[in-house]
Amino acid sequence: MATAEATTKTLKVQRFKPSENPTNTYLTDEKGVWAWMTTVDHKKIGIMYLVAVAFFFALGGFLAIALRTKLLTGASIDFIDADAYNQLFTLHGAIMVFFVLVPSIPAALGNFIMPMQLGAKDVAFPRLNLASFYIYVVGAIFTFIALALNGLDTGWTFYTPYSTESGSSVIWVTTGVFILGFSSILTGTNFITTIHKLRAPGITWSKLPLNIWALYATSVIQVLATPVLAITLLLLIMERWLGIGIFDPAMGGDPVLFQHFFWFYSHPAVYIMIVPGFGIISEVISTFSKKTVFGYWAIALSSLAIAFIGFLVWGHHMFTSGQSAVATTVFSFLTFLVGIPTGIKIFNWVATLYKGSIKMDTPMLYVFIFLFLFSIGGFTGIMLGTLSVNIHLHDTYYVVAHFHYVMMGGTLIALLAGLHYWWPKMTGKMYNERLGKVSAVLIFIGFNVTFLPQFVMGSQGMPRRYYNYIDQFAPFHQTSTIGSYILGVGFLIMLYYLLHSLFRGEKAPANPWGSRALEWQATSPPDFHNFGHTPVVIHGPYDYHQPMEEFQLGIAVDTNGHGKDTHVEPDDPELDKWKNYSLG
Amino acid sequence: MANHSSTHPAHVQHHFVDSEQQFDSAKMGMWVFIVNEVLFFGGLFCAYIVFRTWYPDLFTQAATQLDTFWGAVNTVVLIGSSLTVAMAIRSAQKNQQRGLEINLLITIALACVFLVIKYFEYSHKIHIGILPGAENYTFEGIDHPLAHVFFGIYYIMTGVHGLHVIVGIGLMLWIYFRARKGEFGSEYYTPVEITGLYWHLVDLIWIFLFPLLYLIE
Amino acid sequence: MSDNHKHGHHISTPAQLWAVGGALIVLTIVTVLFARVIHLPYPFNIITALAIAFTKAGLVAAFFMNLYWDVKFNLMLLIASLAFFILMVAITLLDTLYRIEVVPSF
Repeated sequence: MATAEATTKTLKVQRFKPSENPTNTYLTDEKGVWAWMTTVDHKKIGIMYLVAVAFFFALGGFLAIALRTKLLTGASIDFIDADAYNQLFTLHGAIMVFFVLVPSIPAALGNFIMPMQLGAKDVAFPRLNLASFYIYVVGAIFTFIALALNGLDTGWTFYTPYSTESGSSVIWVTTGVFILGFSSILTGTNFITTIHKLRAPGITWSKLPLNIWALYATSVIQVLATPVLAITLLLLIMERWLGIGIFDPAMGGDPVLFQHFFWFYSHPAVYIMIVPGFGIISEVISTFSKKTVFGYWAIALSSLAIAFIGFLVWGHHMFTSGQSAVATTVFSFLTFLVGIPTGIKIFNWVATLYKGSIKMDTPMLYVFIFLFLFSIGGFTGIMLGTLSVNIHLHDTYYVVAHFHYVMMGGTLIALLAGLHYWWPKMTGKMYNERLGKVSAVLIFIGFNVTFLPQFVMGSQGMPRRYYNYIDQFAPFHQTSTIGSYILGVGFLIMLYYLLHSLFRGEKAPANPWGSRALEWQATSPPDFHNFGHTPVVIHGPYDYHQPMEEFQLGIAVDTNGHGKDTHVEPDDPELDKWKNYSLG
Repeated sequence: MANHSSTHPAHVQHHFVDSEQQFDSAKMGMWVFIVNEVLFFGGLFCAYIVFRTWYPDLFTQAATQLDTFWGAVNTVVLIGSSLTVAMAIRSAQKNQQRGLEINLLITIALACVFLVIKYFEYSHKIHIGILPGAENYTFEGIDHPLAHVFFGIYYIMTGVHGLHVIVGIGLMLWIYFRARKGEFGSEYYTPVEITGLYWHLVDLIWIFLFPLLYLIE
Repeated sequence: MSDNHKHGHHISTPAQLWAVGGALIVLTIVTVLFARVIHLPYPFNIITALAIAFTKAGLVAAFFMNLYWDVKFNLMLLIASLAFFILMVAITLLDTLYRIEVVPSF
């Protein structure tokens, strides 16, 4: 119980001002492909996840562009026939959900940032962390095998009875997702343990960055919900392979039971996707307003509240499935409860902005985009949770627009905010700020042009997942397609300036945004051990009224294999000021 | 914690401050994993409960085909193995090298006995035509159109549990060979304790499977 | 450091372990007797069987898995997992028990 003991003791601390020119960083420590592939360093694993997620995002995005291009006309066109169309939207959904959104923030950014925010050298189980990454890769390979064989046309939800009959490679993909689930489970297990056991001296629960609270809530959902997905997919595989008769009505099973099992995971899973985004928003909004987060505990605990309520509402995906009227009513009522903690968060973020010194850099621009788009996504979610409205809107483009506003306008935009916020820390390079803003604006415009028309055509009755449409919907579909092209251009610009920054970018200072959070008190990019010393924390992560030097305290260590700490500015006149400090 | 310059013992990984923190982390990690396992099997139990509330007759009729005697014997075997694994942990804590090795070997042996009994149960059922899946199921001794559903649930529940037993045997062998190299003692026995926790979980699940599948009346 | 050994490092005596093992075997015999010799009427048969199963599980968790001596957080984890399992079953039953037809025809 190292941390608990430390809080009651007087510690000898010094100031460790991060060097602006680190000589030894995690990028220079071990080089070569093999070193990367076998590394147990959470930072490198985070980067590998980021590359993998970016790859799958590009793939999923390409499929989306293909889909939208087909939908320029309602008629049949040569290069995508109806069967190919079914496969395209299924793969777009499955890839974006399982390979992009679920691992994006926790496994990529979270892996990199979380141990640094805790002042730890690594996650609790570094080898398990690497194993999770390879499990993810194996899951991906199974999905590609499915692609090479017969593809998949069941929709990403694998609903029975179609998934037991479809001629496509359902077993391959479900096996892939089953394997992928273990990656998620192990990451969650690892994160929970790390947050409990590896906090640096002084980081009490009330001094945890809100990003950590969000990742904690996410991990709790991952641990509680993902195993149910695993068993569901196992049962589905058995159903398809042997016909055991649990889900298949032809064998005496109940297809609605499959939906219960599936959504017991997949509804909480949308909170696995969005809650870590909330964490990023809290960090960025505080840093760029130079102000303490308003309602720290409200934001921290509302993450946990969302995690909990998320387990009670899965049946709102099944209002028209034939489940009992009792269940439908209860689910509809419980669904409204989700709005409360989410609303608490939005209000607290807006209150944080109030009278702050707001600086509109790219990450902050994304935060504003997030607040705007996510609010629309949230409100339309409440509408969909309303029983009577849902019967009308069920399985229309309204639903498609809603979840793109939450998942893309929420999670993905938050991911971009985090990516731009931590990019200098991760790579040690600054990206082109002007291009960053241009692409953010393009993405915002493109996104709304794509998805706003979908609300309208959905409410007018355009069903989702349809290959063709009547002329009435043509203008909406065409506008939507043009929007998706604008989005694509926005992402291409981003790809360009991020890659450019890697090779030609300006060197990033240790703390370009003037943040008080612990990860910014390391060098950019950080040392292999994150900090050359053991950080000691005496203030909360958002205490902007305290001087910067009080956030750079630590205890010298000489057992980390690097000899003396080389990451401190030499001859710092302030060094002697901090000999003893009582953590009380 | 207080003294940072103390050198790390060999078994402490670099990112932990001391042995204590490593042990606590490992144990907590295992408990979080147990939470996973509870919900993993929870899905199966949920399917069981739903179908039992729908078709109570099916369950009472079909359960007559399961052999209570061998089910009970297997329960006792698993309880015995839980006891020996607990004794193994105790031996490690007490630096009793021989006790550790012998207890681990007995645990592995009992786990194998469990699987052998399970094998005879399965092969008897397969022999009389009780196979998983509506198409494969040919047994005619149960007068219920959904008899295959019960056995589908039975096979998956016991099958997944059996897989856990096999994984457990693998883990136990790994621990046994490490123990023979003298890696464990009162200072460091984390892997023994963690594997023990896993093995008790396997026992826990069987404690519920036995009455729910074999003792329906 | 010495007070750290209060949790996580409890060493059970062989007598304790054997007593728990013995109790588990006795309970196994009792539950078989209830089901095969003393036939209780429904629903008491299920209640007894589950009560005995939970007692056995409690013994294993408390004394074999050392939860009785461990930090309380690990106990909380186990209880939380059971709570979420019950939640899953209870809410699913809200549907399956109140349907007009058991398996809806399509």
